[in-house]
Amino acid sequence: MKTVNLKIDDKEVKAEEGTTILEAAKQAGIDIPTLCYHEGLDTYGVCRICNVEIERRGRYQMVAACCYPVEEGLKTRTRSPKIDKIRKTIIELAAVMAGEDVASRMRVLASEYDADLSRFRSRVPLESTKCILCGLCVRRCIEANWDSAIGFVGRGIYRRIVLLPEKAGICSTCNYCRDICPTGRTCSAFGPDPPFTKIDDALAGRK
Amino acid sequence: MLLICQHCDYKWDYQGETEHYATCPRCRYKVKVPEDKAHALRQKRLNLELRSKLSLKEQPVKLLGIAGIVNNVIEGYKYDKSMLIQILLELQKSFGWLPMEMLLEVSKQLGIPLSQVYQVATFYKAFSLAPRGRHLIRVCMGTSCNVRGAPIILDRVKSLLGIESGETTPDLKFTLDAVKCMGCSALGPLLVIDQDYYGSVEPEDLEEIVSKYK
Amino acid sequence: MKVRSLEDLEKLRGELLAGGRHKQVMAVCVGTGCVALGSQKVVEAIKDEIKKHELEGEAEVRETGCLGICELGPMLIIYPDEISYFNVKPEDVSEIISKTIMRGELIERLLYRDLITGETVSKVEEIPFYKYQSRILLENNAKIDPRKIEDYIAVGGYSALAKVLFQMTPEQVLEEVKKSNLRGRGGGGFPTGRKWETCRNALGKPKYALVNCSEGDPAAFKDRALMESNPHAILEGLIIGMYAIGAEEGIVYVRNEYPLAVEHMELAVEQAEKMGFLGEDVMGSGLSLRVEVHRGAGMFVSGESTALMSAIEGKIGEPRSKYIHTAERGLYDKPTNLNNVETWMNIPLIISKGAEWFKSIGTESSKGTKVFCLVGKVNNVGLVEVPMGTTLGDVIYKIGGGVKGGKRLKAVQVGGLGGGFAPEGMLGAPLDFDEMFKACGSMVLGSMVVLDDDTCMVDLTRYFEEFLSEESCGKCIPCREGLRVIHMILTDICNGNGREGDTEMIRDITETMGEASLCALGKNATNPVLTSLQYFGNEWEQHIREKCCSAKVCKSLLNYEISSKTEKRD
Repeated sequence: MKTVNLKIDDKEVKAEEGTTILEAAKQAGIDIPTLCYHEGLDTYGVCRICNVEIERRGRYQMVAACCYPVEEGLKTRTRSPKIDKIRKTIIELAAVMAGEDVASRMRVLASEYDADLSRFRSRVPLESTKCILCGLCVRRCIEANWDSAIGFVGRGIYRRIVLLPEKAGICSTCNYCRDICPTGRTCSAFGPDPPFTKIDDALAGRK
Repeated sequence: MLLICQHCDYKWDYQGETEHYATCPRCRYKVKVPEDKAHALRQKRLNLELRSKLSLKEQPVKLLGIAGIVNNVIEGYKYDKSMLIQILLELQKSFGWLPMEMLLEVSKQLGIPLSQVYQVATFYKAFSLAPRGRHLIRVCMGTSCNVRGAPIILDRVKSLLGIESGETTPDLKFTLDAVKCMGCSALGPLLVIDQDYYGSVEPEDLEEIVSKYK
Repeated sequence: MKVRSLEDLEKLRGELLAGGRHKQVMAVCVGTGCVALGSQKVVEAIKDEIKKHELEGEAEVRETGCLGICELGPMLIIYPDEISYFNVKPEDVSEIISKTIMRGELIERLLYRDLITGETVSKVEEIPFYKYQSRILLENNAKIDPRKIEDYIAVGGYSALAKVLFQMTPEQVLEEVKKSNLRGRGGGGFPTGRKWETCRNALGKPKYALVNCSEGDPAAFKDRALMESNPHAILEGLIIGMYAIGAEEGIVYVRNEYPLAVEHMELAVEQAEKMGFLGEDVMGSGLSLRVEVHRGAGMFVSGESTALMSAIEGKIGEPRSKYIHTAERGLYDKPTNLNNVETWMNIPLIISKGAEWFKSIGTESSKGTKVFCLVGKVNNVGLVEVPMGTTLGDVIYKIGGGVKGGKRLKAVQVGGLGGGFAPEGMLGAPLDFDEMFKACGSMVLGSMVVLDDDTCMVDLTRYFEEFLSEESCGKCIPCREGLRVIHMILTDICNGNGREGDTEMIRDITETMGEASLCALGKNATNPVLTSLQYFGNEWEQHIREKCCSAKVCKSLLNYEISSKTEKRD
């Protein structure tokens, strides 16, 4: 495979053609924060925390590092005041539905970027679900069992993750969904407190 | 069937009956079963299941009830998975709504995970997972219609029928939906009942129009 | 019968033009809009009258697509004299037949009445609405019944296809399109020739060519009108494109909410196959091309190209990152070329009249004409086609006839959901991709909504953000949560619960959404808010600080006072 040369944060990096900026950075020892990324699963690109600034033909652009393929001569910046502000705002926005009481990776990121988790929540108070809809649990369940027990339903602001009772039989209480969750929901698909709404309830409450 | 592992190029004769993924004996990688073989296995399993249920002998079995309705439509689209949306559209049109059993059948017969079928059925506005009234009343709330007085029309229809937008009357005659732009912005406010379009409606005409369908 | 060569086509055209030349034809629009105003009944009445007076040899009715001034529908044009009647009702039909058709007399009350002079105008091309337009794509609407391929062939259809198949190589077609500087009409404004070239050079088989007719913008119906009125022109452009790119599969994606457009397009594909313009051995050239019609299932974001491809694959319409262009890897990971309905319609004209002719229309950076819908509080509401470079003011005052009721123009909303508000001071801005991008942040020119003083800008912005928050796919965090928060803040402001610091909060969120969203919907969702704040900031201040709505729209902010004094009124 062809090797390309690129620059990440003033460091010369060599990477194989076809890899993404995130993978190339990891190999070079540079850490770009992520919430919805896991090396065993296909990239989804929804959290947008991994946004980095690239310079291409004289123009600056912000792209998601987990999806952008490496190019010869690419110049990338992973931290800057603008990037930090955007990451901080994204975490605060994610907290609108997730609530202030998050644990695990999201809590670590919030403190690193000095995010005020109640900034938008105080203006628009909503019930907290502890879910940022990153889809890691769904993707992990699909990868483990082809016919998954949980899935996305709805669209736009009505999107959420639900449990499919018909597939409850295949839920092997493997706890993969709990282990991979970046906000630390402390329950798996089947309790002690079922965190995912059963689909019938979800649909009845829908407009 | 003969399978080749993409990861380690190992070839082996798979004896199992899975329709989705087989595990490579050498490197434990999950290998996808080719679509035509998967389809044949699926048909065999469905047939066996139904035959054992009805305890019939070796004969081609005709599926009945909801399974039959679904099978007719899916056969028409030649079991093509990428036609899922077109299949659901046709089922919605002929049956009126998509009950849970129907989605389960679609998932079983097409070979698509149930979570994907649910995802599609709840994402698009055209599908309804609850029973609908015999007549569907749609009030357009697009920009142009909005500016020309559509909210007043919507309020009037709501009070005429006694339901909110998105609900069905208790006698299952009418379902009311406030939709976003049907493409007739030049003649707002627009009211559509089933396939009949009524442009430039006045609140006074509403009672007469609706009573035509009672 | 199959058409196998250019000579076959010419012969067929001659035969079609010879018959029926002497008849008087009444063209009545039966597009979805006019049907809603009752034009189907007018057509039935005309057919009955013709039978009653036994005029079958001298007059006939033609059911056509959109004829222009939708506000004054049902509309009727009589050929060959080109007399146009408006607001026609079934009761008027017997008078029309007996007076105009049989005796050549005009009926005054059905003619167009000029708003300023009060005079009646009988000929179509003298009506101000049509005089200032340049209807190169729409001019054939009155001469074609969209359900008859013969009508399209009679006005010159499929000649461009014959020219391309027998006299040009795919590379020559590509060169011609590139030379014409045609830019995408769907909103991206990307040079079409370059996109075709990328797709042609990409590796992978089969290649796909897609027609995007999933117009989700409220107040825009130009794609519906184009597809209902002249589906064969779109099909011809698509087939020429498939030849140039090397694609064998074509897919037309139409919204489910446009049943008539779906019907006409499916019929057109069937007829084209029967005549040999599609299918095996197209026109005897040896190529095999297939076109399918796909119905959408109800979502706005399917206007985005990757979401559309996802919907065709049978999944939910979620956009994906476009760092690798869809022209290289799109539908089923194969090279895919997606263009808007209007872009495809321009192709046959560029081929038959040449790239130089096309370049002579329009401005330096945007060539050709633009079809869009002029709606809102304007006198002549309808479907408009003007050369690029026409100013907004000309469109509203010369073609549209000014603001309805003589009120003051407050703003023009250009560009649908992802567009912005242009205040009165910007009426001199020309219709041009780059100029519009500078003015309101988006190049989508599908609709123009005219707003007067009775519109509350804050309430309208709230309406846009509500629409966007429900239609967003909900995949990425900045767009979904950002729209949720912006919509809730705007609802609060319109209910009188606005707080200090709301505008700063909204500005922060829009900055993040604009940079970090996955797709163009999230990025452009900020345009209504930003242009509204920029040009109408004082209204926002009024709503937040003084809790007052000067347009008297926000119900919670209206105070009714009953005066204790009784006054004598004249």
